[in-house]
Amino acid sequence: MHIADGVLPFSITAAGYALTVCGVGISLRTLHNEDLPKIAVVTASFFVASLVHLPLGPTSVHLLLPGIVGALLGSSSFLSITIGLFLQSLLFQFGGLTALGANALMMGTPALICGWLFRRIRGQTRTSNAVAGALVSGIGTMMAACILAALLMTAGEDFWGVARVAMIAHIPVIVVEALVGAGIVSFLYQVKPELLIPGAASG
Amino acid sequence: MKNQVSKVIVLDTLESSALAIVTVAVVSLLVVLFRRRKKHRYSDNREPDWSIPVLDAQSDGSSFFHSWHPSVKVGTLCASCFLIVSLNTLTWSLAAVGICILAVLLARTPWERLSRRLVAISGFLAMLVVLLPFTSAVRPEDTVFLIFGMENWPFHQRGLIVALTIVCKAVSVVLLMEPMLATAPFSRTLQGFSGLGLPRKLLSMIALCHRYLFVFREEILYMQRAMRVRGFVPRTNLATMRIMGNCFGMLFIRSFERTERIYEAMLSRGYRGSFPAGPEPPKTVYDFIKAAICLVIALLLLSVDRIMPSPLL
Repeated sequence: MHIADGVLPFSITAAGYALTVCGVGISLRTLHNEDLPKIAVVTASFFVASLVHLPLGPTSVHLLLPGIVGALLGSSSFLSITIGLFLQSLLFQFGGLTALGANALMMGTPALICGWLFRRIRGQTRTSNAVAGALVSGIGTMMAACILAALLMTAGEDFWGVARVAMIAHIPVIVVEALVGAGIVSFLYQVKPELLIPGAASG
Repeated sequence: MKNQVSKVIVLDTLESSALAIVTVAVVSLLVVLFRRRKKHRYSDNREPDWSIPVLDAQSDGSSFFHSWHPSVKVGTLCASCFLIVSLNTLTWSLAAVGICILAVLLARTPWERLSRRLVAISGFLAMLVVLLPFTSAVRPEDTVFLIFGMENWPFHQRGLIVALTIVCKAVSVVLLMEPMLATAPFSRTLQGFSGLGLPRKLLSMIALCHRYLFVFREEILYMQRAMRVRGFVPRTNLATMRIMGNCFGMLFIRSFERTERIYEAMLSRGYRGSFPAGPEPPKTVYDFIKAAICLVIALLLLSVDRIMPSPLL
């Protein structure tokens, strides 16, 4: 779930933008110039994957994918996610333009952490990779939900109830995300394992 | 509870049931409308609607916004958005919605895409409108309604006002998006963002990503069609999750493999880190007059919001 315009207080919006600008700036400086177009193209595929709705009982959910983006792109995932969110807000209004900084932090930070975690725990076998994929996908979404709740809580005491409900609403998404994440990683491990080493794919 | 709040209005059984009936009626009307829309969308073929809107299909008009220099336009309207989200009161947020509707009328952009944008934010805003009145904090001088049968969940008037203010602010920013983004070719609009300090490297990444969205959307629709003709029906079970995982994995592999070829093709066509932008149209005095008009309106809104929070009293 993305934060719409007008919810967060100005200070938090500005702080979110400042941190996002720093994150993107660091990425742009440290990455090789020839990697940038490649990351852009891969970002398009993540964007499209997040548009697909999966059935969940009477309703449907779409994936947030911070864990998988982190696992596949490593340290460039923050840049990728910020570009994706910028385009989502321009094209679909998923998340307001003024809340872009906060939204990028909400999705980008879990991706960075998940990328690091995935490399730590993935192991050597297909099963361990699938389990690691499920874990980082679930944890990534859970962290995004926690950051969302924390951001909503900064908007004042009135929003604490909303923050709690928003977190509970993410629980089914976390389960779906973990299951699909396991599917994605075990498929990639069998078909093209070199993609799971961040940097190798885009380098 | 009662000694914390200065004004408690208890609704009796009749009023509460009338309120309940009205609520049920409104919700069921919305559900029926939504169902009909959805059915209409699925009726022609069974392919789900994952279409990506083309922002600049009507970019060759001649309105106030079309003739505005993209850089000045994007900068001004972004600043106006930030000023609008800083509003605090419901009255002036409503005024902002009115002004933004005028802007849309002036830009003559299609309402269809605008309604899609509004649907996109409606989930989040509906959550706020439903939850905030029941969960907001109790402050002195709040008015609280106790509805019969729901005494444990008092309805806070202030929570409702906060929620509606946010709805108005979000809607006004959404209304401004169309005049800002749909009145110039997308590449020009993106160039406009460079005036806000976005580096060129980032802009060419965004442009490339935008270009390939449409390619990969075709790709995944193609894959989904192939899955459907082989008898795949998405359900809530483990098999669906695994199969969709494989489908996404395939999409990512295709995109990663494609990047190499795309990059080589770009290099062979003379790519050197950014896309050639073409000559920018010169900025004229009119562009800055338009910017001044918009900013003055937004600043006026913000200042009356702070000086006269409630003009009716």
